[in-house]
Amino acid sequence: MDYRKCASEILAGIGGKGNLVSAAHCATRLRLVIADNSKMSKDTVENIDGVKGVFESAGQIQIIIGTGTVNKVYDEFIDLAGVQAMSKEDVKQAAASKAPVWKRILKTLGDIFVPIIPAIVATGLLNGLLGGLSRAFPSITDHYIYALLDMFSNAALTFLPILIAVSAAKIFRGNVYLGAVIGMIMIHPSLVNAWTVASGAETSTLWSWFGLWNIQNTGYQGHVIPVVIAVWLMCKLENWLHKHVPEMIDLFVTPLVTVLVTGFFTLTVIGPIFAQLESWVLMGAQWLITIPFGIGAFLMGAAYAPTVVAGVHHMYNAIEASMIANNGQNIWMPIATAANVAQGAAALAVALKTKNKKIKSMALPASLSAFLGITEPAIFGVNVRFVRPFIAGMIGGAVGAAAGSIMNVYATAYGVTGVFGFLITMDCTVGYLIDFVLAAGVAFAVSWFMGIPEEAENGGKKAEPALAVAAASAGDAPAPVAPAQAPAACDAPAKNEASEFIIASPVKGKLIALEDVPDETFAQGILGQGAAVIPSEGKVVAPADGEISSIFDTKHAVGITLENGVEILVHVGINTVEMKGNGFEAFVKEGDKVKKGQKLVEFSIDKIKEAGYKTETPVIITNTDDYASVEKIADDGDIDALTDIIKVSK
Amino acid sequence: MKQFEYTIKDPVGIHARPAGLLGKKAKEFEGTVVTIEKGDKSAAATKLMALMGLGVKCGDTVTIKIEGGDEDAAAAAIEAFLNENL
Repeated sequence: MDYRKCASEILAGIGGKGNLVSAAHCATRLRLVIADNSKMSKDTVENIDGVKGVFESAGQIQIIIGTGTVNKVYDEFIDLAGVQAMSKEDVKQAAASKAPVWKRILKTLGDIFVPIIPAIVATGLLNGLLGGLSRAFPSITDHYIYALLDMFSNAALTFLPILIAVSAAKIFRGNVYLGAVIGMIMIHPSLVNAWTVASGAETSTLWSWFGLWNIQNTGYQGHVIPVVIAVWLMCKLENWLHKHVPEMIDLFVTPLVTVLVTGFFTLTVIGPIFAQLESWVLMGAQWLITIPFGIGAFLMGAAYAPTVVAGVHHMYNAIEASMIANNGQNIWMPIATAANVAQGAAALAVALKTKNKKIKSMALPASLSAFLGITEPAIFGVNVRFVRPFIAGMIGGAVGAAAGSIMNVYATAYGVTGVFGFLITMDCTVGYLIDFVLAAGVAFAVSWFMGIPEEAENGGKKAEPALAVAAASAGDAPAPVAPAQAPAACDAPAKNEASEFIIASPVKGKLIALEDVPDETFAQGILGQGAAVIPSEGKVVAPADGEISSIFDTKHAVGITLENGVEILVHVGINTVEMKGNGFEAFVKEGDKVKKGQKLVEFSIDKIKEAGYKTETPVIITNTDDYASVEKIADDGDIDALTDIIKVSK
Repeated sequence: MKQFEYTIKDPVGIHARPAGLLGKKAKEFEGTVVTIEKGDKSAAATKLMALMGLGVKCGDTVTIKIEGGDEDAAAAAIEAFLNENL
């Protein structure tokens, strides 16, 4: 099928570019809003190769194209029409694209991190607690429960690149499983763990890129940026391949090539570049802290958090280890503590000041975790997204670190920062306390007074794009079928009593979209819009209180008029009328009043299959025309009877 | 108003699919109301649930009434549809 030809014919059929208002697509259909319906020739569009049906619904022209192809036709379509996609994502992107590049990059990082924060918070808190306890009571580390908890506490951090890869793949709209594979490749057990490399483990050269540089067999544990770049590359490649690989071989060629090319490029190019950058950062950091009078510490305290963003902080263990080996005084740790608690305090200010519940509920645990030494949730989830709290944290970190340096605060070990850092700074508790409090206090104050953009404060009423994205990505996977069209989604905020009804499923089984029913009449919505269920149990129940309007002698279909006026037809199987009632038993007759959940019809799934019919059971709102919209609201998949599946809006 | 009678030949009568298709056909004629009568019950052809509620079976004779708009064209189209599908 020629997607571009199909798209250009559709565009011509609807009256050309000038007549198009907006375009979106769902799992199977192109959904267009056009200015003048009379300029569209329905017959022409229906006869285009690749178009399976056309109808109008709720002010939209819906063109059925089919799963897997609709997105390709859509891509060509918007390219030809020169319009921006009107999906929620794109509206947000359009809003975001006005921001400068560095801001967009930071926002994207935040969007990637927000969904995985629960995992990091859990692990971060546990990690901090265990680290502290083991310093206070060294003997507990021999206990088997400690060993177990230790494992739980570092699982998410050990495998962080996989979490990041999955989230990034979602943000960059690639296949999340392929994204996970890229993450796995980067921390594969066959590679030497980056943390142990930083502590001096041996690595060997895997390969050299035509003799230009050596590829070390080092993993990417603790890394963020290289993973995001790798997955971004993967998604670009994957989407390009989807467009250019013939449909027939797309299913195996695209994933194979995507993983091969991305994996190879990641380990041989992105990786070495970062390794080089990291060693420079490390050298820079080591040089920086030699500047006396607290100036070096001041600069490093400010620069510390950005290096966490860059993912090079795992290298710092090497600095600390060499300091301990040298004279037993780890002056790096007070700097790290200042930087970490400052980020935590900046996030705490956001948490306390914002009226947006979503941000508040995230910023609080993120802040706590930072005080225990795990800063990623606070940095990526909160501070970087609003930028100013991040800078507030840098200022606090600088001040605290400078104070610590002037007072010559040092630790006698390494591995913990923040609250538990007191356990390894017994020689200079007061100095450490001042370092800690100054950093947190300054960061909190700066963040409180200038850190939070207004939008975050007043609950996002001004539709701050970053928040909307966060809410969407943190919440759930976008429903594949829910049309992301702007008009319907935005126009109806008022939900008064009788303006919409939620319809429950009369059947237990696997929910599918109506357009996926293997029968044109149903799939095109000729009998009305709705959804369909592939039954796993041969029973139809009343989806709500109502009256039986029709039940055929063949008992394969039952019509119910609900008390709110919604008319529902449950049609068990396709063409099962031919079974003439064999395998069906009705428990109600026309005119009967029924209660929600009451059994209406029993049927034998096996008999339907034996007779050679499909069991797909459309659940249709037959008076769809009386409503502004009828849409399936649940995701495809297994559902129980009486699960809410359809929303009818007036 | 135009009206005519038709005896259903389809062995299962007006069930979901033909009812839906009949409704679709009737909707093609804007401003025209197509009513199906069986005994003392009647239903608009576009009202699927009511139409199915008539319980029209094979051998039943129904009266089709067509009112307003292009009655002749609508009557011809509906009759052709019935002959072909029911």
